[in-house]
Amino acid sequence: MNAQSPVVEMNNIIKRFGGIHAVEDVSLNLYPGEVVGVLGHNGAGKSCLMKILSGAMGYDGGEIKIQGDAVEMSSPIDARHCGIETIYQTLALADHLNAPANLFLGRELKTRFGMLDDRKMEEETRKALRSLNPNFKNITEAVMNMSGGQRQVIAIARAIYFNARIVIMDEPTAALGPSETAMVAELIEKLRERGIGIFLISHDMDDVCELCDRIVVMKNGRKVGEHQVGEVNKDDILSLIIKGELPDNWVPRNRTTV
Amino acid sequence: MTSERTTEQSPPPRARSPFLFWMNMTGDERKDLVQKFAALFSLVVLIIAFSLTSNAFFSLGNAMTVSLQTTSIAFLGIGVTVVILTGGIDLSVGSVLALSGTVAGLLVKAGWPVYAGMGAGVLVGTLCGIINGLVVTRLKLAPFIATLGMMMIARGVALQLTGAAPVSQLGEAFGELGNGSFFRMLEKGANGLPHMIFPGVPYPVVLMVIMAIIVAFVLRRLSIGRHIYAVGSNEEASRLAGVNVNGTKMFAYATSGFLAGITGIILMSRLVTAQPNEGVMYELDAIAAAVIGGTSLMGGVGTISGTMIGAFVIGILRNGLNMNGVSSFIQQIIIGCVIIGTVYVDHLRNRR
Repeated sequence: MNAQSPVVEMNNIIKRFGGIHAVEDVSLNLYPGEVVGVLGHNGAGKSCLMKILSGAMGYDGGEIKIQGDAVEMSSPIDARHCGIETIYQTLALADHLNAPANLFLGRELKTRFGMLDDRKMEEETRKALRSLNPNFKNITEAVMNMSGGQRQVIAIARAIYFNARIVIMDEPTAALGPSETAMVAELIEKLRERGIGIFLISHDMDDVCELCDRIVVMKNGRKVGEHQVGEVNKDDILSLIIKGELPDNWVPRNRTTV
Repeated sequence: MTSERTTEQSPPPRARSPFLFWMNMTGDERKDLVQKFAALFSLVVLIIAFSLTSNAFFSLGNAMTVSLQTTSIAFLGIGVTVVILTGGIDLSVGSVLALSGTVAGLLVKAGWPVYAGMGAGVLVGTLCGIINGLVVTRLKLAPFIATLGMMMIARGVALQLTGAAPVSQLGEAFGELGNGSFFRMLEKGANGLPHMIFPGVPYPVVLMVIMAIIVAFVLRRLSIGRHIYAVGSNEEASRLAGVNVNGTKMFAYATSGFLAGITGIILMSRLVTAQPNEGVMYELDAIAAAVIGGTSLMGGVGTISGTMIGAFVIGILRNGLNMNGVSSFIQQIIIGCVIIGTVYVDHLRNRR
């Protein structure tokens, strides 16, 4: 996998809020078809780092390269042009609008005369949502009347509908029940097969160990560890998150077990 | 689950009877319809009540009078609705209409042709709206504060420009827009005096209908309209989805200013006098019309058709109460109660 060139390179990213160093000199790569778990407790800077990559937040230093080209990431629209889609923890849905309006928000389909093509949008939405959840009905209802799972499905559909190359998922399973969580896991697998790179922010250690190829741990704005998922066990990851370092006399786990 | 999947694969067949139509609607569409009917229903009740209590109320002539009286609330209400949909508020429309009207009056007085003077008046209104938008989006002030400031500034400028005195003797052409009408039919009676067959449709009423249709079209069929609802519903989500939030807000405030400008020139034209004191408290009528029509002050919910109904509820209440000789003090009390009552009913319905 590493023979390929990375789809995302973030080099020496710095973000400060006044005197607080939210992200301090962090570098991070993502390869096509790779799932990278970004871990750290609240305020460690993982969400900041991901917001910078999705264009939702500016940065004070460093560079971002997408498929080898340096890009300026100053708005969510820039990120979108680079093929980066984000599923936010808050889902970022407009509650009073229905599913098609949310799915196509900011990039509405139009007829030849420049008017909204609601029929086409509804059709496409129905297809997109059914592919994720065959039971999805009432798509023309305002999303405020939908269940947490349905809302999550809309947010996910929005990220994958537009042929993203990079998907950022911020706690995608936090609001979901077991069956829907399984659906997300299945989806991540599908995206991986299509060669899409995924950043997965999660607190759920089982999810991370199961879904990710590689994990990156942040603490106080710094990257304190980066490992292939086989090299570390849950205790090692916890140690990185809490102490910022691996346990004493640590050796890569996959080597000792062999 | 499998049976559901097969039944849900294709959209439900189109309705054939009104009942099926009702069954086929989603909860939201149904709610929307109930809302419309609730407001329309109260409008019909008002018309019936006033027709019974006053002989002069239910006539074509009075219908045109009511429509004409309602135009200013409707114009302002449409503009304010667009702003409220984005989650903002526009308190400046009453003052902006005065400024637009006086600018138009002064320019015509100074020798400008009527259309140019009026055009400049509307432009001034739009400019005030754009300034509101800039203060909200660039200085990041709360819309209430920004437009409260503009309310005082525009009124002050209008008073200063005219020395607080009305500008009169503007010529007959200045009164054409406000007082003219289409299809007015007169007949010479037996006594030699003209006898009116059809009162005609006043220009402002025609303009009101056109404006309402245009704005409703923009809100429903164009992406800027969709963005207006989205910004009012969840501003941060809209920004993250790539919506130009500031541009959308600018558009809303400019629209409101533009419509306030139109209201200004029409009102001054009706009086054939530019009155710097015109339009005091009109912003509250406009907001009331929007709210009665189901617009949520939190943003994201509301329609132009609702606001038009709201404007007519206020217009007909005023007219009908006048016809029944109810004092203007009592009228205020009644309209206040109607605002609270309709919004409460709306609230109950949404709470579930």
